[in-house]
Amino acid sequence: MLKKASLAGLGLSLVTGLLSLTAASAHAEKRTLVLSAYPIAQPLFAKYVYTPFKEKCGCEIVVETGNNADRIAKLDARRDNPVVDLVLLSDFGMLEAARKGLIQPLDYGRLKNYGQIYNFARNPIGGNFAVGYTIYSVGLVYRTDKIKSLASWKDLWRADMKGHLSLPDVSTTQGPLALQMADIAWNGKGDDFATGMQKILDIRNNVVTFSKNSAQLSSLFAQDEIWAAPVARFTWAQLAKTGLPLKWSIPTEGQAAGMNVMGIVNKSRNADLAYQLIDFWLSKEVQTALAMDLVDSPVNTQVVLPKDKAEFNTYGADHIASLKFVKPETLLKHRSSWMEQWNKGISK
Amino acid sequence: MLVMPALIFTVVCFLLPVLALLLEAFRVDAPAAHWGLGRFADFFAEPLNRQVFLRTLRIAALVTLVSALLSYPAAQAIVRVAPRYRGMVLGMMILPLMVSPIARTYAWIVLFGRNGAINSVLLSLGLADEPQRLLFSEMAVFVGLLQLLLPLMLMSLVSSMENLSRDITLAASTLGANAWQVFTRVTLPLTQEGLIVGGTLVFTGCVTAYVTPALLGGPKVLMLETLLYQKVSVESDFGTANVIAVILVLMTLAVNAGLKRISSSRSTV
Repeated sequence: MLKKASLAGLGLSLVTGLLSLTAASAHAEKRTLVLSAYPIAQPLFAKYVYTPFKEKCGCEIVVETGNNADRIAKLDARRDNPVVDLVLLSDFGMLEAARKGLIQPLDYGRLKNYGQIYNFARNPIGGNFAVGYTIYSVGLVYRTDKIKSLASWKDLWRADMKGHLSLPDVSTTQGPLALQMADIAWNGKGDDFATGMQKILDIRNNVVTFSKNSAQLSSLFAQDEIWAAPVARFTWAQLAKTGLPLKWSIPTEGQAAGMNVMGIVNKSRNADLAYQLIDFWLSKEVQTALAMDLVDSPVNTQVVLPKDKAEFNTYGADHIASLKFVKPETLLKHRSSWMEQWNKGISK
Repeated sequence: MLVMPALIFTVVCFLLPVLALLLEAFRVDAPAAHWGLGRFADFFAEPLNRQVFLRTLRIAALVTLVSALLSYPAAQAIVRVAPRYRGMVLGMMILPLMVSPIARTYAWIVLFGRNGAINSVLLSLGLADEPQRLLFSEMAVFVGLLQLLLPLMLMSLVSSMENLSRDITLAASTLGANAWQVFTRVTLPLTQEGLIVGGTLVFTGCVTAYVTPALLGGPKVLMLETLLYQKVSVESDFGTANVIAVILVLMTLAVNAGLKRISSSRSTV
């Protein structure tokens, strides 16, 4: 009896083992797409992009997060045997990665929704390396109870702005964008924005601080430290919640604009899935869902937003017509020099 | 033999990677690749870098000094509290350590703001006619770092003083020493270990702090750590970032050695 029981036990173990092996191999067949992205709003990206896409493709998505510099350094360290398949960066970050040979050129013909996106989001860094998936404007926000109007970037140089103004630090993504607008406003001619730089350094003592991030900007407004600042559109909803009498102004010279882009990593083993995800991300449905929840402003021209959502997105004819993008190659060429001039001029 | 696993773990997982990183600061690429101090010479040739180095040194030294001055009487008071309440008092003193440095720094922004508590007090006492700009200055960075790191000094000194029998100081007083002499001749030499550990922790915390100088000082009060971050995240200049990292390590070692020297000279008086 004992012998029979042992044999039965052994048989059961074998069957269980075989079953688990089959399950394991089925699990192993499920492909995994690795995405490198910014950490911000990941739960919302999971809700509107990753979860529906996983159902569509029958694959897994793993997300690695960090800022531009961290993630480019990681891609570089694993360039021969990449782990990441699809990378989301700023336009200049993607150009830096592409110049290091970390990104493969895209075949735009594989993207069904490519024809629906704005022209500026198509091939935004040249060489077919990327596609824009979101944009943002940098306009001027001011306290209507303290300041009568702010119609031009030049108005930031007015005497009544002294001690009530914040500008973005040049080390941030928005810093060079504001620098460009200062250069345009004061008739700068070179692509090094030398005129704009000099003009900003001239009023360094009028500036309360050069802000590092949107949270800091909100607290500066809330604490009555500042009455005016260039603000990225994705911060506007947060500022509006402070309850202060704030107004968004599109200056006569236009608004600075930034763009985030997607690209496929060189030697990616899941490039086909990456193409599918890019196409899904650019679709009217996904772009609308992200814009409605104020995650990312759309690049798909078919997206239609109600007024209360349009207010907090970079959206609408007047906004799009006002956008002035800094060329990614200009930014990469001069960034170190701007940083040096900035430190020397401001850190006294 | 029992320490070997821990030793191997520390060397392989901690010391070797850090050494490999720091060694990069001594590699010069031009005109031909060689080892040397070229990167350091380039770094200190730049007036801005010298200014940032001196500012970092000044603020860190001042925070260390003031935290020691404030912590000695506080630690003496704490060790005199009955043992059953001592834990509670010490817990209250070190409570700030349990709050995120970012939250604490934002709290200072609220306190220092034009509508903040400090300006309200100044205005109500008639010490100022209009709200003062207290943020984005060396003073704001100093106060933020002091509040952040003071508990480290306090804990070290309390720990040292708990081992110091009260009879010793009483004996010194009985033999005619005044309060100052008791402190300099007896208390200070016998708590020197606590001062060295606390001083090194506070100084290291100051020179390596990023959030507090970045938010309370901003670009106008650039320090070595904020400069290091810029070099890596904006310029991808890992060479200069390595040089700054080595300077930070050397500054900490120098302060540790300096404190030991001061303490040993005191104890031989």
